[in-house]
Amino acid sequence: MDMTGRAAAAAAGFALAVVIAAGAGPTGGQTVDRRKAVEIAVPANESDEAVLGRPVALALDADRLYIADALDCAVKMFSKDGRFLGSFGRKGRGPGELAFPSGVAAAGAEIIVADKLNFRIQVFDGQGKARGGFKVPFAPDRVFSLGAQKLLVTGNPTGRRRDEPLLHVYEAGGRPLWEGLEARTSSDPILDTFRNMILVCPGESGDFHVIFRSGERTILHFSGSGALTGRTAVDERHAFKILDMPSPRGVMRLAGFCWAAALDRGLFYLSAPEDVDGRDLGPGRTVSVIDGQGRLRSVVDLPCAVHRFLVADGRLFAIDDEGGLRIFEVGR
Amino acid sequence: MKKLAILALAGLVLFAAGVSYAAAPGLNNQTDCNSNHQKCREYTLNLDAPWYKVMVLLTACDFAFGKCMLGL
Repeated sequence: MDMTGRAAAAAAGFALAVVIAAGAGPTGGQTVDRRKAVEIAVPANESDEAVLGRPVALALDADRLYIADALDCAVKMFSKDGRFLGSFGRKGRGPGELAFPSGVAAAGAEIIVADKLNFRIQVFDGQGKARGGFKVPFAPDRVFSLGAQKLLVTGNPTGRRRDEPLLHVYEAGGRPLWEGLEARTSSDPILDTFRNMILVCPGESGDFHVIFRSGERTILHFSGSGALTGRTAVDERHAFKILDMPSPRGVMRLAGFCWAAALDRGLFYLSAPEDVDGRDLGPGRTVSVIDGQGRLRSVVDLPCAVHRFLVADGRLFAIDDEGGLRIFEVGR
Repeated sequence: MKKLAILALAGLVLFAAGVSYAAAPGLNNQTDCNSNHQKCREYTLNLDAPWYKVMVLLTACDFAFGKCMLGL
């Protein structure tokens, strides 16, 4: 669907608006609100530069949305209503150049980018000018600001070493402060890859939360110093989706739990994986709203499957199947 | 004596095979293989594709890694 068509569909969605289908699936003696997200039309951005090649991570500051585009080796900036504002970065190894940027974070007036294949974290100012950075001894995947000049960087384990940490905390200048959450290893490195897929939701006071995408129905809570301070069991109504995959080592069973996650003002937004043609699990179009105690507060239905997303002030910014930016009101 | 000659011959063959294998032009540097393997995995994981597809692609990365290490 092109931008104009999408805008029209969004407008139609707006007209139908706010459908609150109460009583959608009372389970465990409780009724959970089920509602449809209302799409906000994203303006048609005419510039080629605005087209997202492979958007892999999003970040927000007070008035801008940043999207790391791994294919274009750039960070693209949008207003909170989806208007394209510009981009920075190009392919390369020099200052300000990027090789597969896979993570982005807004830290005050600075934009932090996980420059994956250059094995470094780069810092940019609000105008996209490179302001330094530091090398890391692994391919950084996502980066998050923990406030107080601290950055959380995640890495995908290579599978070649035991006990590789998934999480690394650095000072803004690059001094390592902590690393932890060891990768799970077994005799099946591909299964391990799935078991080590994590999602991170930064908290509001320098803390952060970790959710495993499969196998565990829990949210881990870490303090900014890396101490594991809590483990919240998530409501069973946000159910596992089981996938049995034939693999060279036999059938591999995955309990898909969460495709993407975000945290906004104490509420977790977890998207459930969805069946793809009855033999695969892919991004879902249903988001469970979970409170700090793990209880399911409501379920939000989106009009399309979404990959990465984040939520701020009841508005969900997402990347759809076609790599386009979509914005929805999901309420609270 | 015959046994010793066979053993010496076998040893010579293995040594020659080892030397020619190590010097084979197709044989890649282990660092390059590791780097390519890591890139292959990272690209795959960042596709955010359905999981069966990811599993197939990761398996392909591992096969390519094996081929690279063997210089095939």
